[in-house]
Amino acid sequence: MTPVTAGRARPARVRRRRFTPASPSWLFAAPALAVYALIVLYPALAGVVYAFTDWSGIGREMSFVGLANFRTLLGDEQAMGSIGNTLLLTVAIVLVQNGVGLLLALGVHARLKSRALLRVIFFAPVVVSPVMVAFLWKYIYNPDPSSGLNGLLGLRVDWLGDPSVALWSIAGMVVWQYAGYSMVIFLAGLEGVPRELHEAAMIDGAGTWQRFRYVTWPLLAPAVTINLMLSTIGGLKLFDQVFAATGGGPGYATETLSTVLYKQAFVFGKFGYSTAVALVLALFVAAVSFVQVYYLRSREVSA
Amino acid sequence: MTDLLHHARVSRGQFLRMMGGLAAATLATTACSTRPDTTATTGGGEAATELKFIGVADQKTPMDELAAAYRKAVPAVRVTASYAPTDQVQTSLRTQLGAGNAPDLHVVYPGNGSAMSMSQIAGAGLLADLSQQAWTGTIPAGFKPAFQLDGKTYLYSAGSSVIGAVYNKKVFEQAGIDAPPATWTEFLGVCEKLKKAGVTPIALGAQTPWVTQLITYALVPSTVYAKDPSFDDKQLAGQAGFAGSGWQQAMEMYLELQKRGYFNDKPNGTTFEQQTSMVATGKAAMAIQVSAVLPDFRKAASSPDDLSMFPVPGADDPAQVWIPAGVVVGLGASAKGRNVEQAKAFIDFLGRQENVNAWAKAIAAIPLTQDANSAIDPAVESFLPFTKDRAVPFMDQRWPNAEVQPVHFAVVQELLAGDSTIGEALKKMDEAYRK
Repeated sequence: MTPVTAGRARPARVRRRRFTPASPSWLFAAPALAVYALIVLYPALAGVVYAFTDWSGIGREMSFVGLANFRTLLGDEQAMGSIGNTLLLTVAIVLVQNGVGLLLALGVHARLKSRALLRVIFFAPVVVSPVMVAFLWKYIYNPDPSSGLNGLLGLRVDWLGDPSVALWSIAGMVVWQYAGYSMVIFLAGLEGVPRELHEAAMIDGAGTWQRFRYVTWPLLAPAVTINLMLSTIGGLKLFDQVFAATGGGPGYATETLSTVLYKQAFVFGKFGYSTAVALVLALFVAAVSFVQVYYLRSREVSA
Repeated sequence: MTDLLHHARVSRGQFLRMMGGLAAATLATTACSTRPDTTATTGGGEAATELKFIGVADQKTPMDELAAAYRKAVPAVRVTASYAPTDQVQTSLRTQLGAGNAPDLHVVYPGNGSAMSMSQIAGAGLLADLSQQAWTGTIPAGFKPAFQLDGKTYLYSAGSSVIGAVYNKKVFEQAGIDAPPATWTEFLGVCEKLKKAGVTPIALGAQTPWVTQLITYALVPSTVYAKDPSFDDKQLAGQAGFAGSGWQQAMEMYLELQKRGYFNDKPNGTTFEQQTSMVATGKAAMAIQVSAVLPDFRKAASSPDDLSMFPVPGADDPAQVWIPAGVVVGLGASAKGRNVEQAKAFIDFLGRQENVNAWAKAIAAIPLTQDANSAIDPAVESFLPFTKDRAVPFMDQRWPNAEVQPVHFAVVQELLAGDSTIGEALKKMDEAYRK
């Protein structure tokens, strides 16, 4: 194994590149990029214009209002409150979903007899539509002390109706659904950890924890990067589950940026303002993801 | 070793495995997306014109029936209808309206106060003028603001529904109550008796946002409009507000019911469906609801005849008891559609008395205009004495924007959770009203 520097291809690839002048270039990506630009980038950028107007979403009446929508956003108690909720939800989801996902991955990576079955079971919730998950969990979160989760645990919690609990109930539901998703990505990472390294570490006298900490964990870094990024983005733009479970209530207790921008556009008829909120959300997600990737990539290693 | 670990990147194998997992997951998630419930309402034969209708789920029963009847009357035109829950319809219809490709016919809410209301859509020039049709001449004067903008009619609706208490007669009998209450004090007495009999007096499904407003709506006609029938006009002119009006009293009465323990435990965690089943199965004695959902309660009950309704008495002087009676959700014709004339002709057909009767019957509504064949659901008969001069449209139908109503939902949830005060709640509603 030859040490290679970051950003360089491996020796095999370098050799191949030298012998084939028509090396794979960005031209291969061009068709995909063109489609992406046409159906994602262009409409998204074209939509940005509305953030500077007072368009209601229907009809032709529209005038440019400059930065007024953004000034409204700063003074909008409900939207600002929703930013707090969004951040709390995201932090909770990122930590718990990935923590649980990692534990599940380590569990089913072990040489268990039923590990294939367990992998399928843990991944199963991921394939269910998020709205259906929310409807199912509404039954599980029934406030009646004799049914659902309350009945099972002998509790009397108003899961979705108590403003101080509702946000965490939603986080729980999201974690239940997507922990399997994190697990799959961690599993892929675990499969890539060479057995020789573990064997070598064992010969050196490393215990289970030490082998995890000094062999597995550093090599899992790429999986960690992908998982943290995906769950952060997922958390920041969370909509379906919140909307189907509580609609942002009780009161404004579970309102997220996504539900606010939905309501502004489709319930209040303020399309222009809604686009401004969406633009802020998009920039915010982009900034967070960029910082995350920049920081996490720097600690990635390979065997 | 550390050097090596620091400088390499993810291997191709690792990368492919991760991407494979991702792709599988994405595929699986998108494959399960939901689809609205679409029904071709009329079948058989080639139709020259197809009229598309998009409506809310409550409209399915009457619309399917009348579209089939229209196919028989005018074989050249076929009405194809699709239905979805209110939120979904609101999203997809507003998008279609905004993009300029609205269906020929679509759901429209009466008056103003919601993003899909007659005033908002007609105001944007997207609804066809129906004023030339004969039936529009018979719209009762009190209902005109719901149908008309600047003197022109843009909405078809088959009638009105009322808000009152849907109650389980058997449960009332078992608790020794022989007649529905006629005053607020009697109402509280009835609740007390029911509570002592071991049933939940009032089921409240406040987790479903629109349910939160119904108790205020049931009380406000008595606490506000009975004293000042022109309250809406004053409010529009900026001379009155929610704070400092009878709304304060109505909210106090609402919370008094909670304080005395007349609601089910944890109303904010209870949904409309749970509320319905509580009353239908006799776990609760009543629910303050709109008569349009009576069919839902009946469907959930083992003997539908056990369910009936009575007006909620919001005052201690029976003469001061007023009720809310609102025009039910209707439809309009798109002004920009390809088949405007045929769409208008279909609405004209719906406006015939026998069709008004049929639509109203299917949703337990009081027909807009009545003749000898008009059937009035026995459950709402006790409301008829009020409809002449002691009824007011649902409050939101006169509100100037679509924000007040959702704020009302949210503040009621906050009040029920004990997170807010009535003063703060009404202040928030006033702020939304002035936006």
